[in-house]
Parts: sequence; structure tokens; C-alpha cells
Amino acid sequence: MALRDIKPTRSELINLKRRIQLSERGYKILKMKRDGLILEFFKVLGQAKDSQNALNAAYARAEEMMAVANTVEGAIGVKSAAFSVKEVPQIGVKQKNIMGVVVPEIQGSSVTKPLVDRGYGVLGTSSTIDETASAFEDLVEQIIRSAEIETTMKRLLEEIEKTKRRVNALEFKVIPEQAEARDFIKMRLDEMEREELFRLKRIKARSQA
Amino acid sequence: MAEVMAGPAPYVYVATRLRVRKAKLLRPEEYLRMLNMSLPEITRYIEELEYKTEIDELSPSFSGVDLLEVALSWNLAKEYQNVLALAPGTMHAFTAAYLRRWDIANILTVLRGRTQGFGAGKIKEVLIPAGSLDRAALDRLVTEDSPERIVEGLRGSHLYPVVTRELSAALESGSFARLENELYKQYYADLVRVARSGIKGGYEFLQYIQLEIDITNLQNLWRLREGGATEEVREFMISDGRIPVDELDRVARLDSVDEIVDSLKKRANLEPLREAIEELRCGCPVRQVESRLTRFKLDLMDRMSRRYPFSVSPVLVYLERKRYEVYNLRAIARGKSANLAPERIQEYLVI
Repeated sequence: MALRDIKPTRSELINLKRRIQLSERGYKILKMKRDGLILEFFKVLGQAKDSQNALNAAYARAEEMMAVANTVEGAIGVKSAAFSVKEVPQIGVKQKNIMGVVVPEIQGSSVTKPLVDRGYGVLGTSSTIDETASAFEDLVEQIIRSAEIETTMKRLLEEIEKTKRRVNALEFKVIPEQAEARDFIKMRLDEMEREELFRLKRIKARSQA
Repeated sequence: MAEVMAGPAPYVYVATRLRVRKAKLLRPEEYLRMLNMSLPEITRYIEELEYKTEIDELSPSFSGVDLLEVALSWNLAKEYQNVLALAPGTMHAFTAAYLRRWDIANILTVLRGRTQGFGAGKIKEVLIPAGSLDRAALDRLVTEDSPERIVEGLRGSHLYPVVTRELSAALESGSFARLENELYKQYYADLVRVARSGIKGGYEFLQYIQLEIDITNLQNLWRLREGGATEEVREFMISDGRIPVDELDRVARLDSVDEIVDSLKKRANLEPLREAIEELRCGCPVRQVESRLTRFKLDLMDRMSRRYPFSVSPVLVYLERKRYEVYNLRAIARGKSANLAPERIQEYLVI
């Protein structure tokens, strides 16, 4: 806002003071939100680290179990058992709110199944297939958990960034400009008052002379 | 063969031939040596054994470790058919009945593959025609376009009654697990029936089958305990073993391994079976329990074949030993290609 566009009037000053008050209140709230989001982010970051480690471990175990299953049952046995999987895990996405940020809540159904519901027969397979199936079920569970945490973290980061930009804009641009405009109006009003006083004194002096 | 078709001579002839073939199978130290070889070295080594024909035949279609695995399976199927052709009289009936387990695996693969929408070529890759259904019959079944037509294609086979009975429920639930379990139960029931039908050599065959049933039940009992399915144990147990299904169902609910072992030992009226049960006390993971029981079963079979040298036992011992030779070679090749440590691969070998 260029100073030359400002009308140096008393009502404008009152409006401006109101706006400054509002901006300062908004600034405080946004700063609190930013700090809150950062705190929340660090909490999620801890979980994300744990879930990433767990995901890596689950992936390594699943890979290892697949190698073991191929070793024990052969690719033919593993493929034959894999043919029996009929139910694909379903992924449901709900939403939850963290300080105004909408984050997903991902839930998988039919991911972990009991041995007797996996679709292959117990009598025609060995426990290696059970262990491999179980390792891959754990991996899918872990992927779902990691997807939820990482999306939450991404959304929080975006929101922190947005809030930080708003806080900075208020702190370094909006509020200083408004304060400058207020000071300018105050100065102009004071000047106008002085001019008025001076003019009155001149008129009075002329009329007495 | 004309001069050895009567009296005990055919049994002696076949048992001796298979004992010689068994002696030619790889020895434990050869597997251990292979553990220190690289994959190309293993391939070359296997090629120098009796698997060369299959490797050469399949090399245009497959490569690497897949080639080895399919070649090993084809060789196994060929060898089994060879043994079947060799076995005379009742020995042939026993052997044919015993090899029908491969039909179950093949039919289930065809049914599952077709219902999942896999192409005929992909399904054919994983079939091992070692049972009564030969490659031509399996190829015909694979090209059928619906499970009902596949089952119709089985009309006249020993699998047909069970598959017909269970198919609609399987298609409705989308799972062939119950069908698979029922087929295996029927398979063992048929084996026991054949063994008890009063034909010569039935007693020895029955002894072996009962041992296999008991050991399979023990392995599955342990798996179901591990999988937390102790309530459903009865459904997965095969009857006609020495340990009654009621007893297995009861002990599955016990918490302590020692209690289970003690209870089962009281019901086992055969010393080797008591020794097998004792193996469960090791407290090791299910996989190791399974391996220990499998090794134990093979040792027992060896002992039985020495005790009954001119029965079906030497045939069955050879079939099982050959199966585990293929199993071990495949395990070494697959384990090597997956970069598993030699010690780790060795854990899974049946030697």
C-alpha cells in the first residue's frame, strides 16, 4: 500500500488501528498454529522414522521369506500356492483433523488372515508358505501404516510452510506497512492540526491588528 | 521281463533295480560340496547328472534357475512314470495309488489358475505330471474354459467324486482350500483301502502309509497350533493313522509341549512313532519341526525297506529319496540365486 494512496483522515486512522489490531491478533494465532503444527510434525516425524524402519525390516523379512519359500517349495510350489489367493486386501480412507489440517486415516481390511482362511489347503503345503504369507501380510500392513503417516507428514509440512509464509507476511509486510500508514496518517493529522492552529493564530493576529 | 513275471521274482527284480537306482542318488557330501559352488557351476554339475536330457529339451523355453527347476520337475515326473512302468502286479497298484498325490496338486493348480484367469501357458509351466494324469491329459484340462468343464474332463478318474462334491462350495466361497484338504484325505483313505484290500504286500504298505499319515498329522498339528487354529484341528487331520484324530484334536488344546508329547506317546503303539513324537520336544520353530520329522520319516522308511526287502517299501523309499534329491538340488539352486548363505541353505536340505 503506497503512502500516497492513503487518505489521512481520522476515520481512516481508526480503521487502520482496527486492522492493525486484527493483524496482530491473526499474527499471534498463526504463530501459535505454526508452533503447534511444528510440535505435531515432530511427533509424526518420530512415528514416521519408526514406521520407515519397521517397513524396511518387514520388506527385508518378506524378501527373505520369499527366497526361503522358493528354496523350500520351489517357484512352482510358491506360484501354485499364490494361485489360491482370491481376496485382495481392501483399503479404506477416512479423514481426520489435526489443527485444521485434513489428514487421511488409512485402514486395510482382510490384510492379515488366519492360516485356515488364506485360501490354500493345509494338507498340501508346508509351514514355509505360512511364514511367507504372514511376512507379506505384515509388509502390506506396514505399507498401509507408513502411507498414512507419510501422507500426514507431507500435509503437515505443506500446512507449516503455508502458515509460515502467512506469519512472515504479517510480521514483515502487512503489520509494518499498516504501522507505517498509521504513523503517516498520525503525522499528517498532527501536521494538519498544526496548520489549522497556525492559520487560526494568523487570522486572530490579523483581526487584532 | 517275460521270465520274471511270476512268483516273487518280479518283486525281487524291481526291488533290486530300485535299490541300485537309490544307491546312484546324490550323497550328502555331494550336496555339501555344491553349497560352495556358484550358480553356473551348480548348473553345469546338475547337467552332468541324469538331468541333461530335460535341460537340453527345455533350454529354448527357460533360462537360469527356472530352467533348472522345471528340468528337475520334468525329470522327476519321467522317473516316476518309469518306476510305475517297472513295477509289476500289486506293486504297480500300490505305486500308482501312491503317486496320485501329484494328480491332486496338478488339478488344484489347473482349477486355481483358470479361476484366477491365468493363461494356459503359465499354468502348464507349474504342472508336474508324475501321477496318473499324463501331460496330454493335463494339457487338455488346462485349455478348458471353466472349472465345471475341467471337472467334467476328470470323469472316470479317482478324483472325480470328491471334486464334483466339493466344487460348487469351492466356487461359491472362492476358495479351493477345503477341496484340497478333502482330496488329500480321500487320497490317504484310498491308500489305506488299497493296503487293506488283502493283496500281497498290503501289510507293509499299510505300515508305511500309517506312518506317513501320523507324521503329516503331527506336522500339521504343529502348524495349526502356531497359526492359532487349535479349534479347527479336527478338520485338518487325516484319519486312519495310528494316533486317533480325537486324541490329536484333544492335545491341540493343551498349552505345554511336554504335555502334548507325553499324551501322544501314550497313544502311539509303535516305537518309531514314539521316537518321531519325541522330536516335537525340541522346542524349535515349526519349520524345523517339519524338517526333523521329514528326515525322521525317511530314516524310518529306509529301516522298513531293509526289514521288508522284497515288498513295496524299497519302491516307496526310492520314490521319496528321488523326490528329496530333486528337492535338495532345487533348494541349492534357488537358495544360491537368492544369495542365501550356504549354512542357511543347508538348514533346509533333507540329507
